[in-house]
Amino acid sequence: MSTEDESFHPLGQEWENELETMLDDTEYDSDLGMQMAEDAMRVTKGELSEADFHEKYHDDVMEEFGVDDRPTEEAYEEAQKNAGGFAEMLKSVDSDGEESRRGMMKKMGAGAAFVGLGAFGASEGGSESEPNVAAAQEGDDTEQDVQWGMAIDLERCDGCLSCVEACAEENNLDRGVNWMYVLDYEDNGVDTSRNRLVRPCQHCTDAPCEKVCPTTARHTRDNDGLVLTDYDVCIGCRYCQVACPYGVNYFQWDEPDITTEDIEAQAQEEMGDHDHDSDVPHDHMSDERGRWVDSRAPRGVMSKCTMCPTRQDGGMGEDAVGTTACEDACPPDAIQFGNMFDDNSDPQTYADNPARGRALSDIDMSVPSADALEDDLDGADDDLESVLEASEDLDEEDLRIMKAIEIVTDDFGEGDDSHTEYEQNIVEAFDALEAHGLDLDSEEVLVGLDLADEPDEDEEFDGPDESAAQTVLVNEAGEPSSNFQLLQDMGTNPNIIYLGNEPGPQAEQVDGPVAYEDVEADLADGSSVPLADNRKEVLDEMTVGDAGVSL
Amino acid sequence: MSTKTPSEDDILRPMHTFTKKYVLLFAIAALALGAFLVGWMYQLQQGMAVTGLSDWGSGGGVTWGLYIGAFIWWVGIAHGGIILSAAVRLLGMDRYMPVARLAEMLTLAGLSAAGFYIMVHMGRPDRMVTSIIGHYHITVNNSPLVWDVTVITAYFVLTATYLGLTLRYDIARLRDDLPSFAPNVGGKQLPDLLAPVYNVLTLGYTKAEDKVIDRMVWWVALAIIIMAPLLLHGGVIPWLFAVLPNYPGWFGGIQGPQFLTIALTSAISGVILLSYAFRRAYDWDHIITDDIFRGLLLWLGFFCLLFLWLQLQQLATGSFHPTTDHADATASKFSHPMYVGPMLMVLGVLVYIFAQTIRPSLFSKGRAIAAGLLVLTATLVEKTYFVLSGFWYPSFSIYDGSPGEYFPSAIELLSLVGTVGMVVLFFLVLSKLVPVVELHAVEHLRGDHGHGHEHDHESVDESAEQPEVEA
Repeated sequence: MSTEDESFHPLGQEWENELETMLDDTEYDSDLGMQMAEDAMRVTKGELSEADFHEKYHDDVMEEFGVDDRPTEEAYEEAQKNAGGFAEMLKSVDSDGEESRRGMMKKMGAGAAFVGLGAFGASEGGSESEPNVAAAQEGDDTEQDVQWGMAIDLERCDGCLSCVEACAEENNLDRGVNWMYVLDYEDNGVDTSRNRLVRPCQHCTDAPCEKVCPTTARHTRDNDGLVLTDYDVCIGCRYCQVACPYGVNYFQWDEPDITTEDIEAQAQEEMGDHDHDSDVPHDHMSDERGRWVDSRAPRGVMSKCTMCPTRQDGGMGEDAVGTTACEDACPPDAIQFGNMFDDNSDPQTYADNPARGRALSDIDMSVPSADALEDDLDGADDDLESVLEASEDLDEEDLRIMKAIEIVTDDFGEGDDSHTEYEQNIVEAFDALEAHGLDLDSEEVLVGLDLADEPDEDEEFDGPDESAAQTVLVNEAGEPSSNFQLLQDMGTNPNIIYLGNEPGPQAEQVDGPVAYEDVEADLADGSSVPLADNRKEVLDEMTVGDAGVSL
Repeated sequence: MSTKTPSEDDILRPMHTFTKKYVLLFAIAALALGAFLVGWMYQLQQGMAVTGLSDWGSGGGVTWGLYIGAFIWWVGIAHGGIILSAAVRLLGMDRYMPVARLAEMLTLAGLSAAGFYIMVHMGRPDRMVTSIIGHYHITVNNSPLVWDVTVITAYFVLTATYLGLTLRYDIARLRDDLPSFAPNVGGKQLPDLLAPVYNVLTLGYTKAEDKVIDRMVWWVALAIIIMAPLLLHGGVIPWLFAVLPNYPGWFGGIQGPQFLTIALTSAISGVILLSYAFRRAYDWDHIITDDIFRGLLLWLGFFCLLFLWLQLQQLATGSFHPTTDHADATASKFSHPMYVGPMLMVLGVLVYIFAQTIRPSLFSKGRAIAAGLLVLTATLVEKTYFVLSGFWYPSFSIYDGSPGEYFPSAIELLSLVGTVGMVVLFFLVLSKLVPVVELHAVEHLRGDHGHGHEHDHESVDESAEQPEVEA
């Protein structure tokens, strides 16, 4: 950049001239465009207020284009509140190098281009004398309010491999490509049945695989933090697999068993019925941005657990958003998938109070429906004892746990995560009981359920005892020995929270309760294929001159 | 040492002879390369499953293997070669001037072989340009692999420039004696096809430029001497591995110097073998003298010592009071033949070299060749072990499939033969086109400062009499 020329633009006179030529090519007024661009630059530098800028050019713009699509004063005020103002909008027109400036200009249209010219300066410039311009380059212009992740309760996992199977079926994986992997291990010779690890991709916030990728194929999706592989960009160097400390990557060493046609046909069949977002492609392969990141990889590129972007994009209907195939399939409900940024999401509430989460999950099967309660209670008295006696499906223990869960939970029954549905079932049952006349917050009931202390004669009843409620839940469901993230010292900031035993450095895998070979996955081509634990054994069939020996 | 006087005819001899042995060697090298190309085509058709590789961890294998080991090996040979040549120009080590150009050419050949391995190693080599170049401005900030590609490319350009500049002097003077190739196709006489090549190489040459070129070459040599240890084999190549904390066998700052010693030992070995081959083929006893071999051998000994010293550092720190993951990685070194074998080979070479400096009668060219072959074998095996052992002993070693199994497939093994064939072909072709010993070297050996060219460093007599390594 020359410092001597008189250009208003941080990229200099040459660039300014080029802009002018581009404007000359349009049917619109070049002088007006250049003047606006210059002033837009002043806005980004803070020399001109945004309101003044609008004021100054409104008439000209109306005259030239017949419309002024730039934010009106009201819209501007609104934008100011949400995004930091027009200057921020200008700055956020960031050239990320994916598109040429000219291409971008075309998209913006000539009118917007007037303003955009200045904005490009904002993102391309960056000398110290223009702090706002420089700051614009550094700013992260994408608001991320979702970070998908999981809480996995290792003490509830029974090693059935349902999640591994579900993942293989959802993504049509080749044998031995275990995006989801479950293993039992021995640690220092002590084998408790709870030494078990469930290992999907950790979808790290600071993913080393992404950092080393020479192509940007491995990337983090801006809006929800999923770490994905763009199958159309990956060159198959396998450096991501090398850099990942967890070993979650699986290279597609040969032609995959299931064709893209089969996957698409299956997707049409299964996704067609759902009330899905029409913007999301229907093939279970492209995500909402149109990038091929889902289902098994094609030959010669890398794959790993995706946390089901097609589901998160609404491609399988609204109900599937916020779920994964493995989570849905887990019989003991050991996997909680959700938004790690939301304190009230399934994984966060579960990790925050695992005893509550476990009890809630366990009790759900025993919560009687409101209808059943109404039928049972018809004609019964409204004291606790009579209610429990009259109700077939509700015993004192169940009610104590249900009430204890309510006591320890803030905003009980509110929200849209899957555990909230469990809570709503309890709310309905409680409503039925209250309707019958049983006051669940009364001294009689709470003391009767051991969820409150009986007040002394000169004291008032001070409501439920939260610590007693928590004790009830811990006694019922147990609490995990620890709460950890895998290989935390690697600095990867994983988005999976584990509850249970953390494997030590000497942990070694042992046989689990169910062998991989004994579980079959039903794939899109109609075949039923047994899972494989060791990929190498499957691949050896294709190795040229495999001598069956190892170095 | 021979009493024959080196002449222009000597260095032109490769271009003026055409023997059955040449044809035979050419055929063998072409066959080796061809066989691997067929193997590679099969790999492209079937996928990387034809290799012995698999996923590390639950996948039960290693994801990088011989291809990457051989890649490092070739880059090492390449980089050491150019360092040797640059030392001749920069430090005035004129004793090695007769083999300087061979070393430069070895760099180009080695880099080509290494670059070829990058392609062979990838699942989708067809996307090399679109995916890497297209996102270069982003990835160059983070990805050590992109740093590698960048520096290797820069190095290739630098070396080619260097070679091109020094060739101008020779070609301009020997132009009339350089070969021509004007085939008669179907009764139609074609013009000399080689003439344009020489014309381009000497475009705009005047004797006045010699001094300027000399200075330019000096600066390029300086750049190379700085770049090679700091950026290349002491930099981005080891950083591919050394920056990853999840592999105790790889992680840490020692890999920079360690890789550099491996590069230098293997490159000097390569130059010894290459020099011997040319000396024997073209009766160059009086040009590539025994003295050169003695000197190269001494340097080889010195770098072998450094190599072993840095290995010792790793063994000591990895076994004194190691963390669990380091303990496993180091224990493997003490027992695995792919590590112990190379260490013993290098140690043996070191012992021999030091013995022959004390007792010069122990020197023979045959033994020098054997030393070179031993070191090249040792560095290839050690580098391959280095790559494999990372995956065998990762920090997160919980998986039953870890350490993974691996044996190079026939195609992977063939790649070694193929790339050696490729490098041999490179020299066979190049030696027919341009002098592989520079004219300066001949003039220098004759004590001849003619042709209007002045050396601005020390005089010939001084440098010839001074052994630059005291025994």
